[in-house]
Amino acid sequence: MSPDRPPAEFSSEAVETAEALGANLLLLEKSAADPDPEVLNSVFRQAHSLKGLAATFGQEEMAELAHAAEDLLDRLRLGKARLTPSRLDLLLEAVELFGRLAEGPGSAVGEARTLASRLSTMDDGPERLGEDDPLERLELAPEMRRVLTEFEEHRLRETLRRQELVWAARVEYPLETFDRELEHLKARLRGVGELVSTLPGPVGDRVDVLSFVLLIGSGAGEAGLRSVFGGVPVELRTIPVRKERRPGPQAEAEAGRPVDGAESARATRTLRVDIARLDALMDDVGELRLIGEAIRGLSDARELSPRAWTVELLREHRRLVRRLDILQERLLQARMVPLRPLFDRMQRLVRRMAREAGKEVVLETAGAEVQIDKRLVEELSDPLVHLVRNAIDHGIEPAGLREGRGKPRAGRILLSAEQLGSRVVLALSDDGGGVDWARVREVAIQRGLLDEERARGSAERELQAVLFSPGFSTASAVSAMSGRGVGLDVVKTNIAGLSGVIDVESRAGEGTTFRVTLPVTLATVRGLLVGVSGRVYAVPLSSVLDVLGHDGRRTGLEEGRQVVPVRGRSIPVVSLAETFGLPRRAEGSAYLVVVGVAERRLGLVVDALHGQRDLVTQALGPRLGQVPGISGAAEVGHHHTVLVLDVGALLDEVLRGPALLVAQG
Amino acid sequence: MKAAISSIEELLARFRYRSDEETTGLVELPASPVEPERVPGAEELQLLIFGLDGSEYAVALAAVTEILRARALTEIPRARPPLLGVLNLRGTITPVYDPSLRLGVASTVRVCAGPDCERPPRPARILVVRTGLGPAGLWVDRVRGVQRVRPGALERPRSGPTGGVVGILQTAEGTCTVVDPEWLLR
Repeated sequence: MSPDRPPAEFSSEAVETAEALGANLLLLEKSAADPDPEVLNSVFRQAHSLKGLAATFGQEEMAELAHAAEDLLDRLRLGKARLTPSRLDLLLEAVELFGRLAEGPGSAVGEARTLASRLSTMDDGPERLGEDDPLERLELAPEMRRVLTEFEEHRLRETLRRQELVWAARVEYPLETFDRELEHLKARLRGVGELVSTLPGPVGDRVDVLSFVLLIGSGAGEAGLRSVFGGVPVELRTIPVRKERRPGPQAEAEAGRPVDGAESARATRTLRVDIARLDALMDDVGELRLIGEAIRGLSDARELSPRAWTVELLREHRRLVRRLDILQERLLQARMVPLRPLFDRMQRLVRRMAREAGKEVVLETAGAEVQIDKRLVEELSDPLVHLVRNAIDHGIEPAGLREGRGKPRAGRILLSAEQLGSRVVLALSDDGGGVDWARVREVAIQRGLLDEERARGSAERELQAVLFSPGFSTASAVSAMSGRGVGLDVVKTNIAGLSGVIDVESRAGEGTTFRVTLPVTLATVRGLLVGVSGRVYAVPLSSVLDVLGHDGRRTGLEEGRQVVPVRGRSIPVVSLAETFGLPRRAEGSAYLVVVGVAERRLGLVVDALHGQRDLVTQALGPRLGQVPGISGAAEVGHHHTVLVLDVGALLDEVLRGPALLVAQG
Repeated sequence: MKAAISSIEELLARFRYRSDEETTGLVELPASPVEPERVPGAEELQLLIFGLDGSEYAVALAAVTEILRARALTEIPRARPPLLGVLNLRGTITPVYDPSLRLGVASTVRVCAGPDCERPPRPARILVVRTGLGPAGLWVDRVRGVQRVRPGALERPRSGPTGGVVGILQTAEGTCTVVDPEWLLR
């Protein structure tokens, strides 16, 4: 680097470094409570080189700011300061300023000075080592302890705080390849442990090998660590930790620390289950074994008459079914987890998205303790992210505009959950600009989704359905619109795949609420089997409100729509056979299945009722995609598959008009 | 007592493995007379040859994951051809298509799902093929077997639908059109 390089070269290099630094900071945000030491180290190095670069080119302001950032990062890296959200914000602000300073100092100079001083005054107060330094309890040989750097000491403390072990590994590597070998080892250790320090080992009699003592922090067992060495002979021992005299308040606080970022992502495929629950499951299995023995005994109970034999067999069958029900119930219970980790994730996401969008947004949550099936939590994540992004990008107005409208500067999003019987209702409300229904109506007519006459007369409730239809959301006209709509059809399909429904309520200027209603458990859904023109369909029982005999003579007409009075309210009715374009069967008795979502009601006319069943539903898969009126399929007998109705979609379709799309071949 | 148990086990075995889930093994067809001498070690293509409405077609065997005896499907309301319906393949909902429309040999519209569907003829099969969008089924009249050919043995198609036709193969029985299974699903 020579001082006479042109400034253009300086700015491009500075911008590049600052951008890399910013990307690493965002990585850190995901695991703020326990930042990846490697990432932290590289951020520190990037700030350091930025400082050097700026100083070389006489860019005082940038050098000063980089210096302040470097200082803070050094303390973070050594565990002398904690990576708090406000610190992260300051650092990200610095990244943004670096970019502007690199283009030309101008107005950014003053800001850089202020930020630099804010960065350096951020103080933690006394270090959190307290009187119980875990490192003091590690029985490390004094000669080893003496040579450790401050950073290495800090990493050892972190290892101990995580309740992991410190291992000393004695290993020999050939003189010419030891550096590569150590790099490989570091890479293979990823996810298993952390190479904290590389110390020289005892001098042997061979001159072509180097011996090392590696200090490794790891929660994996000896076998796991040994496999990392890939066959190289290694002497492994743990460094003992003396018993602590009393658990310090520090240790307790650490234990209760919420799991974060990368950790929680890793945890999604595993489930923590109370051992008492597993014991109960074992008991059930024991009981089932007994039933199995009893049935085997029946197979050679020759003394029984055929009749008595049948009675015995039926008795055992009843016992079996009862026990299976209990087993299923207990398994479902074991799969239940609170929504809190999902809500926490949204919290972090909102911070990042708001920053990216340059808006001020606060996320409040309620009902994080509500429990739902583990798989539902996983599958719910994507649709929820989409809705949150929608709220921030399209719902919440920029701060200036909000002030003009007499709203607080910071937008507010409320994410809440509530259990209602066997259903959970998740609501995401924002206090943003709301959906511009007039514009939705216009776009719907333009796109041919609604005919003009119908659209003019349609209430917001009917226009809702348009928001979720693919034809609407892919419309390029929409993205320029202040309202919503981008990708909502995908959200809806995902939710329908979970046997759930989504609806929206919005007032221009006041905000939007999306409400997702889901079954508490996914494993089975109770369904009512109905017959239509010789076909059988399943209606999720959670949306069935009433089942009545249907008499065509009571049908009236209201606003061009067939209605039937049900319990003092006139509700629209539709023949499922007609909706699905099936041939009409011989006239006979018919039933009216009243279904509903939120405030909306619909009567489905069917030919027959075939009782209730517990259904294990499967999605129709990506090839078929969104099939109007159908949310999935379930097997009800040997090779007999029935389709599960998507009640939300049927409501939309009937209340809006003709189907927007037809299953494609 | 032992006998009683084994007979029950046999009964259960018969109950579990329904014959309709099995298909007979595949026959390896003899090399076609017009095919040039095989060069050992040269790249060979394995083709699954099936019959549809009196003509013969083939797809690459590598694309086929399973061959099922044809069975009644579950109808998808308002579905358009060539989608015939769906079947539950061990927990995966698999759509089944009628390739005869794409191949232009459909004489009648097949009814393979719903209450009006007839019992599928004995030789009818569903070829389950692997696609980018999950498994899909192709309803065929019968499966003839597998034939190994060198890619050079395929001739260019002369007439008829060309979009997904990979080539024409001369077999001992006549000609056979080799097609891209993904094309048949469209």
